[in-house]
Amino acid sequence: MGILAKACPPGDPGFCPPGVDEFYPKPIFEFTVAGIDFQVTRIMLLSWLVTVAIIALLVAAVRRPQLVPDRLQWMGESAYLFVRDGIAREVIGREGLKFAPYLATVFLFILGNNLLGIVPFAQIAPTAKIALPAFLAILSWILFNWVGIRRHGFIGYLKPIFFMPGVPKPMYILVTPIEVFSTLLVRPFTLAVRLFANMFAGHLLLLVFTLGAAYLITVGNISVVFAPVSFAMAIIMTFFELLVAALQAYVFTILTATYVAGALEEAH
Amino acid sequence: MTEGRQPGGSPGAGAGWAVLATLIAGMAVWGGIGWLLDRWLSTRAFLPIGVIVGVASAIYLIVVKYGK
Repeated sequence: MGILAKACPPGDPGFCPPGVDEFYPKPIFEFTVAGIDFQVTRIMLLSWLVTVAIIALLVAAVRRPQLVPDRLQWMGESAYLFVRDGIAREVIGREGLKFAPYLATVFLFILGNNLLGIVPFAQIAPTAKIALPAFLAILSWILFNWVGIRRHGFIGYLKPIFFMPGVPKPMYILVTPIEVFSTLLVRPFTLAVRLFANMFAGHLLLLVFTLGAAYLITVGNISVVFAPVSFAMAIIMTFFELLVAALQAYVFTILTATYVAGALEEAH
Repeated sequence: MTEGRQPGGSPGAGAGWAVLATLIAGMAVWGGIGWLLDRWLSTRAFLPIGVIVGVASAIYLIVVKYGK
């Protein structure tokens, strides 16, 4: 169990449930730049590894494109077309093609990072640390606001948010803060937290069931009958994590596309 | 405004989530303003009043935005 969690102080015979320490492994490498401390942990290394793997796979897929694609090219094309047709074109419409590369990048990046949660020897999703989803959400926020401002001008973009059409003037006082809050503030926050919380909770669940099974096997009393239950739950939750990983990547991407579509369309 | 356009999900699901988000945002914003007023004036009543005002405004906003 070298890589797995060790939260128990030595000599403690009970079960020590995994905690937040799981997400702060010993750093491999630390440095300071301009007074800010940076740590390179195995979680970061995993994220870099996945990035390199995705780039390598996609580059290899389009290296020598043939009219009748071979399997790698077909898989690469399917992955990209899934996002381009199913998300970008479907949600944004004709203009979606411009955003398809970014959306495909976000989708594949989040998917790769999420899947690390169930890959052996890695077994933690880098997206389970809030910084990564937060930054991706900030990027999505910048994107949809930038697109809206570029399309309608700064005033033209903010006007329908601040002064909703169809609302009598005195109601603006009540309604505008809600609109501003839910359009400009809540969206990036929920994008980040949705992804982070799903990955965080999934990781903790898998840890509890796996470590619980290991503990129950070694504890030496009647509780050992529950070890297979715990182990079966660990297997079931691993498959569930597979579903959640893919779903969260999809939801993040399609919500970003929806916000971009909303920013583009405001035609009154 | 063509809000609630559905990208292949169940029809109206997107508008449903947006309605829920608006309700929660209304409660949060006006509840927050009520809470800040309470701290400033050392009262206790503005928080629930703020939440109720928020819910009412959010419902009004939903009817304007998503109603026919």
